[in-house]
Amino acid sequence: MALLEVSDLHVEFEVHGGWVQAVRGASFNVNEGETLAIVGESGCGKTVSVQSIMGLIQTPPGRITRGTAKLRGQNILGGQTADGREIRGVDIAMIFQDPMSSLNPTMTIGAQIAEPLIVHRGYSYRDAMRRAQELLEMTLIPDAASRAKEYPFEFSGGMLQRAMIAMAIACEPSVLIADEPTTALDVTIQSQILDLLVDLQGKNNMAIVLITHDLGVVAKIANDVAVMYAGEIVEHGSADDIFYRSAHPYTVGLKSAMPTNRPGSEQRLAPIAGVPPDLFDAPPGCGYAPRCPYAMDVCESTPPLDFGVGHEHQSRCWLHHEDCPQPAAEIHRA
Amino acid sequence: MEATYSFDRIEPLARQVTRTRPSLSYWQDAWRRFKANPRSLVSLYIVMALGLFTVLGPWVWTIDPTAQDLDQISTPPGADRRARVVEPYTRWVPPNITLEALSPSRLAVIGEPTTQAVRLAWHPVVGASGYRVYRGIAEPNSPDALGLPLTDIVNAALTGFEDRLDLKPRTYHYTVVALSTEGRELEGFATLDVPVTRVITTSEAIERGLSERNGSALIGDVVYLDFHPLGTDYLGRDMLARLMHGARVSLFIGIVAPFLYVMVGILYGSIAGFAGGRWDQLLMRFADFVVALPFLLFMILFKMVFNTGPGESGVFAMLLAMILLSWPATARLVRGQILQIREEAYVGASRLLGAGSMYLIVRHMIPNTMGVILVTLTFAVPGALFTEAFLSFIGMGVAPPNPSWGSMCNEGIKTMLTAPHELVFPAVFISLTVLVFNLLGDGLRDALDARMRSAE
Amino acid sequence: MANSRPNKHAYIRYAIKRLIQGAITVWLIATATFFAMHNVPGDPLLDEKAVSPEIRKNLQAKYGLDRPLLEQYGIYLSNMIRGDFGISYAQQNRSVNDIIREHFPVSAILGVLSIVFAGLGGILFGALTAINRNRLPDIVIMFLVIMGISVPSFVFAALGQITLVNVNAFLDTSILPVAGWGTVSHMIMPSLILGLGTMAFLTRLMRSSMLEIDNADYLRTAISKGLPPTRIFLKHQLRNAILPVITVLGPSIAAITTGGFVVELVFAIPGLGRYFVQAVQQSDYTVIMGTTVFYGAFLVFMVIVVDLLYGWVDPRVRLD
Repeated sequence: MALLEVSDLHVEFEVHGGWVQAVRGASFNVNEGETLAIVGESGCGKTVSVQSIMGLIQTPPGRITRGTAKLRGQNILGGQTADGREIRGVDIAMIFQDPMSSLNPTMTIGAQIAEPLIVHRGYSYRDAMRRAQELLEMTLIPDAASRAKEYPFEFSGGMLQRAMIAMAIACEPSVLIADEPTTALDVTIQSQILDLLVDLQGKNNMAIVLITHDLGVVAKIANDVAVMYAGEIVEHGSADDIFYRSAHPYTVGLKSAMPTNRPGSEQRLAPIAGVPPDLFDAPPGCGYAPRCPYAMDVCESTPPLDFGVGHEHQSRCWLHHEDCPQPAAEIHRA
Repeated sequence: MEATYSFDRIEPLARQVTRTRPSLSYWQDAWRRFKANPRSLVSLYIVMALGLFTVLGPWVWTIDPTAQDLDQISTPPGADRRARVVEPYTRWVPPNITLEALSPSRLAVIGEPTTQAVRLAWHPVVGASGYRVYRGIAEPNSPDALGLPLTDIVNAALTGFEDRLDLKPRTYHYTVVALSTEGRELEGFATLDVPVTRVITTSEAIERGLSERNGSALIGDVVYLDFHPLGTDYLGRDMLARLMHGARVSLFIGIVAPFLYVMVGILYGSIAGFAGGRWDQLLMRFADFVVALPFLLFMILFKMVFNTGPGESGVFAMLLAMILLSWPATARLVRGQILQIREEAYVGASRLLGAGSMYLIVRHMIPNTMGVILVTLTFAVPGALFTEAFLSFIGMGVAPPNPSWGSMCNEGIKTMLTAPHELVFPAVFISLTVLVFNLLGDGLRDALDARMRSAE
Repeated sequence: MANSRPNKHAYIRYAIKRLIQGAITVWLIATATFFAMHNVPGDPLLDEKAVSPEIRKNLQAKYGLDRPLLEQYGIYLSNMIRGDFGISYAQQNRSVNDIIREHFPVSAILGVLSIVFAGLGGILFGALTAINRNRLPDIVIMFLVIMGISVPSFVFAALGQITLVNVNAFLDTSILPVAGWGTVSHMIMPSLILGLGTMAFLTRLMRSSMLEIDNADYLRTAISKGLPPTRIFLKHQLRNAILPVITVLGPSIAAITTGGFVVELVFAIPGLGRYFVQAVQQSDYTVIMGTTVFYGAFLVFMVIVVDLLYGWVDPRVRLD
């Protein structure tokens, strides 16, 4: 059994004129001590999915209509166990994309890191502050003692992200959710932050759910990958599976759209033509059908099922139906 | 269970069904959001109604606001306005009253009590060397609350009195107290409730055209005095007419002043924002100085300075003073907007695409500033109204007899307890107008939302 | 790039700079007042009716009333720097300084109490509405708030007084005095009434400030840390929401102090505002000028104090 199992998650939002189906049946798993990357373009529902685990969906206008998120078998969708025990900040923690706006401007960094310790672990203020300093050192912030007394605006973006990580791991959670933690940072800092995460993962045996739209990041640190499109997980497997044995046309398209750095190669950028569907009026069939080079009648009319294509490797694509005449192997060659 | 699927290939993008919601322009979207807010709509309607009231009112309700209906002073709305026609007043000599004639009461009214005269007579009191007559409007429940002393009679033999002082058609409580030789009041008093009826002489009835009979009036006729739907004030002037004319003054100041000073502010702020650098600093310093002047104090000062002679209403003085003191806020706002927009990415992008300054101003800066300006304007109106009301209230505003809602409140406060309607109506009008403009401003700001946030 | 937090040294430098700027502003106010007064039609400083011959001679000597305007201005300024505002025209045995000294503390106490009421009430009610958004307390409070900002203060003052009179009559005792000044109980009603308008405004401001924070990213972070709602409310929401309210306090003090004279009039409080109004009505020019400049200086000073306070409370403020 995986450490964290999300199954059949459905989330919708009320807008002027109706409901937008932001997440339409997403399922993914994370194993203990491993990293799952959730990949997809903007608006595909990846952030909403993890936010619903953490109870960050504002209930008007949002609504979780179906699904579970099980941590070690217990459903914790929304952030608490069935008997009301708080798991946020304790068992699962989250870091966000823009560290400058994600931290309270009127509290010192040290105080903010100390908070979970005081609240969840019963530390005294002094002990918590001391531990906060240690955590800052752990995340490689120089001069941690005086930094802890400073305010967020006195830090640079990269340092703030480290501070946020320090805050998240304070209570040694089993799962860390990182929502595009490096998107707002310089490339060099990006790399450092990712290294830090991997390092901490090793030390604390912490599972990481990393949300990103950058396949380069995925390649660097992910064990498993879930590819998301139009509110669904269209492919889920190990990193190797996704990169070398892609089983969904969208995944293939994503890979092709990435500019490569091969010296001497002249390559045209190959974006995927078209735009994602408007989830206000959810398409009846596969969400990717309009843009898919392999689209068939059934793709338009009926939503595809999850097909197993390998060991713990699934793809939500009609190409893998036993009656499908097109050999699924074709798409690997892209 | 096992369905059959068709695996025929189709062209991608064959049917990109665009089932999206219709796209709206910024203003359309704002209007839609505005309409969705019930308070905003209601406010808008009320504002329009006020507009009609102010502009068309005096055309419909043509009573002169300065005309005084002396027979109906401080009458509340819905008061009885009937008057009976009687003969003109003739002097009364207190008759010699015999005890029997007056018994069993010690104090009695002689004849019919009317607004022309109330005649009282009482039993002489043993040991009294004089009498004092009180008139009150509330029932006296203690020797201290007898009301207004009307007269002191120092002749013990004179046991009658005729009251002609400012009689209104209501019930008065008369009290007669006996006085000693030194003029001190003796124990005991007699009280009488006297309901007074309104009367009017034949000549008056004819003169004022109140009689139904053409050109004549007979004794005993009942005539109706002028109708005042909202009552009259302490000088007998029609409240409704005064409110309408007052609306013109108050709303003129309340709307025109903000409009003008916002214009000044826009001009000033635009210049500062575009000029930038030294000029900007200089201009803003001056604006800061104006802001530092204590507003109300300088309003009063300026009003004194610009004050014109008698006969002028003081409206323009107030207008000028308000403009001179209030423009900096808008100027700062507009300048801030311009500076901000100049740095916005889309301006840079437009320039890259070859846009000239004029195009940028018209197509980008003005639409983005409009919203902020509109909201500022709407919120400025209640402020100006308050200022005018405030100043008029302390006598530093519009000069009498020109009505304004503020000066009407000032007059109304004096008779707050006895004739509350004189205060209530102008106060309600001010409050309602301020309220409505505030809600309107709120609604506008919410509707023009996303841009508002960044401006504040 | 990281900003460094302003240290004490920079703070003091900032304070001094503000004070100097404030002094200049006060000078400008005095100048504006002087020239305004000298432009009142009829040149009343030479008005025969207002003063008796002996006083007139004194005034002439003191202010140089027959000298050219600029010289008068100079005399005026030098007098002012020495703190001498002159003698009241209407009450010729009282100096303006005395008037200010006697009556300003009254207004000040009234003003301070009102601000305290307004501030505490505003924060409290604003927070309440934000917590109970769209539920009954929110609707009720917002309704009262809208009344509060729409109804003119003099109406409140008048109504307040009537209500108090009636309540006292009904209960047959005087729970609070309806007019006058002198004891603590005299201060309660007028301060409440004076503070109402500002309280309504602050409630609204606090509410919108809280609502803005509702969408803030750091609130999301706080929730994701599993912090209890009380803690989130106090340390993450309230703490940040108060900032705009404090910013507005400076000008609010101004509004309250200058708006105080209506309440002073209605409640017969011997404050400076009431004297100012009387002076205006009686054309007592020295009192008018002196009070205006004094009030101006007071307000400038208060704004500086509040700004300094704000700079201390919000660590993000750049002192430049």
